[in-house]
Amino acid sequence: MIKLYDCNASFGVADVPPPRYAATPDELIAEMDFCNVDEALVTCAAQWCDSPLVGNELVVKEAQGHVRLHPAWMLLPPQTGEQGSSVDALLSDMARAGVRALWALPARNKYLLNATTFGSVFEEFVEHDIPLFLPLTEAVPGLAGHAATHLGWQLVDTLLGQFPRLTLVATEQSVWGQDRYFRPLIERYAKLYLDISTYEQGRGLEDFCRRYGADRLLFGTHYPEVPMGGPVLNLLNADIPNEHKELIGSGNLTRLLREVRL
Amino acid sequence: MSNPSQLWQQYLAHGKAEAVPVISAHAHYGPYMGIYFPGRGEADSMLKMMDRAGMVRAVCAPHAALIEPSRGHALLAEVISTHPNRFAGYWCINPNYPSALEASLEEFARSPGFVGLKLLSDYHRQPITSPNYAPALEYADEHELPVLMHTWGHSPFDGPALWSEVAARHPRATFLMGHSGYGEWDLALDVARRHDNVYLELCAAYHVNGIIERMVRQVGSQKVLYGEDLPWFDPQYAIGCVLCARISDEDRHNILHRNAERLFGWG
Ligand SMILES: [Zn+2]
Repeated sequence: MIKLYDCNASFGVADVPPPRYAATPDELIAEMDFCNVDEALVTCAAQWCDSPLVGNELVVKEAQGHVRLHPAWMLLPPQTGEQGSSVDALLSDMARAGVRALWALPARNKYLLNATTFGSVFEEFVEHDIPLFLPLTEAVPGLAGHAATHLGWQLVDTLLGQFPRLTLVATEQSVWGQDRYFRPLIERYAKLYLDISTYEQGRGLEDFCRRYGADRLLFGTHYPEVPMGGPVLNLLNADIPNEHKELIGSGNLTRLLREVRL
Repeated sequence: MSNPSQLWQQYLAHGKAEAVPVISAHAHYGPYMGIYFPGRGEADSMLKMMDRAGMVRAVCAPHAALIEPSRGHALLAEVISTHPNRFAGYWCINPNYPSALEASLEEFARSPGFVGLKLLSDYHRQPITSPNYAPALEYADEHELPVLMHTWGHSPFDGPALWSEVAARHPRATFLMGHSGYGEWDLALDVARRHDNVYLELCAAYHVNGIIERMVRQVGSQKVLYGEDLPWFDPQYAIGCVLCARISDEDRHNILHRNAERLFGWG
């Protein structure tokens, strides 16, 4: 069996829930069991639609005792002091909480994801190999659809142009095939990874892996927005070698999280 | 508990299930402006995906025909003549050239393998209630044809609100709501429930978690058809969404092939 480690799953009660969701970690684990998913890097709904400060505490508390769930945090600008007095304080809070990955939601949380805001922070992230997850829909507030993802890829390009050694995971790409956007970025930036939870492109995995190998793709489900079975069968039944499925399914994410030094 | 569905277990083991000869009621054909397709989205590439996923047939509206019908239909006609049991076609209507419509429908009647009409009002910027569509809709009614329409929530061109009227006026045609009126679910499901001749089609809608369950509960699995815009979206992804929905394997059979077999006469 190919082990599946979901890089993008969430539980909890959201302001606008999809028709089906997991209100609690137990419900999320039941869903994972139903669809053969082994582990998940998780956020909770409060991190997305309540406050990152409230949500970051909640996700750690709720995930505690669930060995298959690994909490991730939302990142905020250091200048407001909401996440401790310094980047070192943030890193030691992460170590204490067992958090090894961060998400950036610049549109929701209203900040500029760039060197002006995060220069010294990202230098530390590079030093400590901390992966940053960025939804492509988060480049600007109030936009959705094609315009939003177009700007999302531009943001990835700008950010990695400034911090080429930052580990960045682009998530929530539009289901309209995005290869023309991301292939140049994959070729230029060695530490760019793609969460494939919404990569529905017909024969996309096969075509990508033949050209680039499997090191840059991470299995994800984007649960609860997406039913888990879709991304699961898409990977398990892709026309790629088993070694590639293992890397995408869990190997790449396991390595990224293992390399984090806190 | 792992998904107990026999079909899910077979897809996990083999990438397909012998008992499920999948039919895509919503496919396209060939390259298109806004997307890179491996293998140009043409027959060989589509057949690879179909074979791997146990899909026996795809009913296609060639992209080219959505712009320039005669050019696009000719492309697909050739594919159908090479693979008559794997591909079928929708005859595409471009309402922005109303004077060409009559001749186009005559050509449709002479074209083997084309089994229904395809309307794409959102892209053609013409409301489905426009007089430019009337001859095509009357033709479909008179000949009892399936009509696949693009339907998108809150669209002024093809939102589900417009479909009640169109379906009631053409009771002998069968309307497949492509994308199931994506996003305007309550109204779309209500239209499908109220009209015997309106079906929900799953393309893109399948990736909204929990929506398939709602369709089956509120409308019934006999009114839901599988489609995935092949070659756009991988059938494994789309089928995976159907297989993990909390519905019965009987419902899954209805959705993945039985309803299409009945509608297109391929039983
Ligand atoms: Zn379509």
